[in-house]
Amino acid sequence: MEVKINTEGAKTLVELNGRIDTTNADQFQKDITPLMQGDAMDIEMDCSGMDYTSSQGLRIFLMLQKSVGSRKGKLVLKNMKAQVREVFDITGFSNIITIQ
Amino acid sequence: MNLDLHSEMILDEYREKRPLFERMQTAVDGEIRRIVSDNHLYVTAMESRIKKEKSLAGKLELKGNKYATLSDITDILGCRIITFYTEEVDKIAALIEKNFEVDWDNSVDKRRLLDLDRFGYMSLHYICRLPLERCKEPEMHEYRFEVQMRTALQHVWATINHDLGYKTDIEIPREHLRNMNRIAGMLELADEQFSRIRMEITDYRRQVQALVADGDFDRVPLDGDTFRSYLELDPFHKLADRIASINQAEIYRDNLMPYLQVLLRMEFKTLGDLERLLHDYSDDAYQLALHQISGTDLDIMALSVTLQNLCCVYALRKGAGVNGLEFIFNSLGGNKEVNHSRAERIYNQAQKINIV
Repeated sequence: MEVKINTEGAKTLVELNGRIDTTNADQFQKDITPLMQGDAMDIEMDCSGMDYTSSQGLRIFLMLQKSVGSRKGKLVLKNMKAQVREVFDITGFSNIITIQ
Repeated sequence: MNLDLHSEMILDEYREKRPLFERMQTAVDGEIRRIVSDNHLYVTAMESRIKKEKSLAGKLELKGNKYATLSDITDILGCRIITFYTEEVDKIAALIEKNFEVDWDNSVDKRRLLDLDRFGYMSLHYICRLPLERCKEPEMHEYRFEVQMRTALQHVWATINHDLGYKTDIEIPREHLRNMNRIAGMLELADEQFSRIRMEITDYRRQVQALVADGDFDRVPLDGDTFRSYLELDPFHKLADRIASINQAEIYRDNLMPYLQVLLRMEFKTLGDLERLLHDYSDDAYQLALHQISGTDLDIMALSVTLQNLCCVYALRKGAGVNGLEFIFNSLGGNKEVNHSRAERIYNQAQKINIV
């Protein structure tokens, strides 16, 4: 799983590539910890390179969503592949996290 | 400004005591905020100020002989509490009476001063002292302060009236006085209507809560208040547990309120309709989830999966097809291109389990 974080003015752009599964979920969490601890308000994640997310990945997205929400910011996941979108849909997570 | 010697002496006393008034302001302001917060009162603003020297000089120039010393002037420190509703003014007044020493001889309820056929400045003014036992400095007890309590609409009227440059009715030219009083009457009526509306809404919520608690769902129309009360009964927990058991999943309790607009657009009219949805379609909703989740290792789900699947299977059983599903997703999160492919995917899954 590759995570690239770029800040452009008030917006934080994150590029996600690869799979989030049991083998790398901890690393993924570490990689996005700066987004949870920082003061980033608007986070936009480009998921076009993301191939899969497991439940661990969903939990991490949820933690990030809560963290951003607590500072009145917004998390948006974009360009999701159909198979990843399906994971969000069947677990109801597309009702919780904004997906564009 | 030409002040006589007596007024100049009062002004000197003001300059000397100003730091004391600043400390009093901190004490009184803090106490009022505590009272409002402890009693969960709904106020739109609280403010306090110490009268400016220029303003005091103006007052002394007009009626300096009325005051023997600075302590005779009761509004050097002034506080104002602005509420949304008239009832709050009375509640705050009662708490001010309880927590401060009110000088009744100098306090004025402007609301009661007006004749039945007159409209104008409406505000409650209490002249108070900090109780001696709560004065950090005994000297604070010597000086009184004013607390003004009024509604937001009364405040608007008073502020505009003040902005026009008139402090009393007597100063206003007759033609303008009539117009200002007409507006005062209109705002008084608006205050009364807002209070009535609030009371009616409160009554409605109480009735609905009672009907929901009694399970009298067919008598309860579906709206924001009733849906919220219904959700407090946790009606979807059995279905959620059943779906969660497929993968021994953790249930994340997300907000189900966004589904209200979906349900209303699907023409559900009462909580009774929701009960029937739950009763008649839970098996289908479970089967859809089983088809989607079994074979995956997903062990977390949102509570909203229950309503999501219930709405989907209901629409499919009613023959709404792909368009019906797309309508649900569009109602939830706005029109998105991806909603069509999502609807098609669910439609295909539903076909496999004979829901369509």
